[in-house]
Amino acid sequence: MTRFKKGLFLNNARVLNSFAVSRLSLGHTELSLDKAIVAEHLCKVFNITRGVLRRSKTKVVAVKDVSFAIDYGELFGLVGPNGAGKTTTIKMLTTMLIPTSGTATVLGYDIQKDVTKIRERIGFVLGGERGLYTRVNAVDNLRYFADLYGVPASVREKRIKELLQLMGLSDRAKDRVETYSKGMKQRLHLARGLINDPQLIFMDEPTIGLDPEIAKETRSMIRELVEKGRTVLLTTHYMFEADELCNRVAIIRNGEIVALDTPSGLKKYVMDASVVEVEGFGITEAEVAKFKEVPDVLAVSADLSENKQVLKIQTPKGSEIISEVQEILKASRIYDLKIKEPTLEDAYLRLVEGRVE
Amino acid sequence: MMLQTLRVVYSAFRLAMLHWIADPQWVIPNVIAPFVFTFVALTLFREASGPFGLYAVLGGGMMGMWGNTLYSSGFAIEFEKWQGTLEEVMGTPSNLLHVIAGRSVSNALFGLTNMIAILLIASFVFRIPLGLANPALFALSIILTLLSVSALGLIFASAFVLSRYTQVFTNGLEFPIYVISGSMFPIALLPFWIHPASYILGPTWGIEALRIAAGQESISLTFWLNLGVMLLITLGYVAIAAFLFKKVEAKSRRDGTLVEA
Repeated sequence: MTRFKKGLFLNNARVLNSFAVSRLSLGHTELSLDKAIVAEHLCKVFNITRGVLRRSKTKVVAVKDVSFAIDYGELFGLVGPNGAGKTTTIKMLTTMLIPTSGTATVLGYDIQKDVTKIRERIGFVLGGERGLYTRVNAVDNLRYFADLYGVPASVREKRIKELLQLMGLSDRAKDRVETYSKGMKQRLHLARGLINDPQLIFMDEPTIGLDPEIAKETRSMIRELVEKGRTVLLTTHYMFEADELCNRVAIIRNGEIVALDTPSGLKKYVMDASVVEVEGFGITEAEVAKFKEVPDVLAVSADLSENKQVLKIQTPKGSEIISEVQEILKASRIYDLKIKEPTLEDAYLRLVEGRVE
Repeated sequence: MMLQTLRVVYSAFRLAMLHWIADPQWVIPNVIAPFVFTFVALTLFREASGPFGLYAVLGGGMMGMWGNTLYSSGFAIEFEKWQGTLEEVMGTPSNLLHVIAGRSVSNALFGLTNMIAILLIASFVFRIPLGLANPALFALSIILTLLSVSALGLIFASAFVLSRYTQVFTNGLEFPIYVISGSMFPIALLPFWIHPASYILGPTWGIEALRIAAGQESISLTFWLNLGVMLLITLGYVAIAAFLFKKVEAKSRRDGTLVEA
């Protein structure tokens, strides 16, 4: 049963796809009207100072060179391992960080010069349970942010009511947020991100830590937002999520975009290989490492944490590799062995490992 | 523009008040501690001549206001950071200074609660006559002093974020300010070399105005002079705070010190 009530919150549908003008010069700002986001060679370097008496400075490159463009009404995914530069990229585009070099426009506004204009027009939802005033209720949280966004008082209460209804939180609206479940907090995050009726929404790992049912609801909510004409930039760790939701996906590694395509386009990067999936027990890290040394093995991933361990080997040899698998895993127990078509996750693994020609 | 600024200040003030109500642990440092301190002073010196009761009430009130300003307003930005809400607040089009200003006024106002408690104790337990000569001007002086203390809180809020070393001085600042602002006794009793430090504190002038409003029926020019100087100093605090907040935001956007990247 879905907890979201559809169709209650109507967007102004300020979709500018139909604009024929591609770039328009207005004062100091060159507006890009046919793209919701244009990032060109964004780079962010942090200077880290260590020590008190003997101070030393080191430079950390968080984003090396990121360029991409997002259309209005698009759901764009930015995926990559921890520390790849996803969040830093989002923070630059939401005006929270100044790029060290490079430029970007968001909704046609320059991220360095037009900070207030961008902040008025965008929403952002950060994953996790933090970011809410837990000692007060949902209405007070939303009322506060509505005031900070300058939502007219005449609109504020109606919008809060609609958002709470949309998120299925009306019954608990007057309860303190600290009594909410993770899923309820995440829905309140979404409501907060929509309080200013934004044209463009940034979502940084919005389903992280949620149970499968709530994560599914959140994904259907995100899809609904795009159907209503909004543009969404989403970061996620879950490849099936990017596959299910995104029109296009950019894979970021060490601060650089290594691939950008539709999910099906990205899968084509790894069509030269099959995936041998092994379910077993007693598989060790040492055995996994041995597979990486086998010729023609392009990528290996393993989940060894559960009782039923899963090992995935990408190779162009397909079933020909089975004897080698059995040899390496002779000390472990194999429950099942399948040859599969590569998924977006397999493409991602090879791309982040730099094993795609 | 001005209306939107006031709306943001009010909204932050309201949210801070809701937090105070939801989290009763503020009672210990902000009401009970200054109350006990003043109670002891009243017990020891109740036979003393002069307006001792008035000093005790004003001193207690200032302790509450100042204690709250130093700890709650001083750490207002840090509080948002710990709560995980700083990014959400900084991501709005509103000026962070206005948000923290609302919090700071709320903190100082809550600190005043112990002035009321001490007033009641002094009147009903110790039977100390406090008869306010000019209640309206006394109230006006309280409001302006509260705003002055709140403005000082804004400077601390930004300074604490700009330099972690500033926080080290927090504990050391609490009692000296009670003394040099003349909260507990007239600054004339202090060594002359401390006077400049007293005079750059808005509350020093506010407390003097409060004493005049409380004790003199015919208000002299000195009363208005004290309020005027306090207002000028307060405007100076606001200007310094606005400058420091700009630095805070610029530093945060450059170094990512307030947002997690």
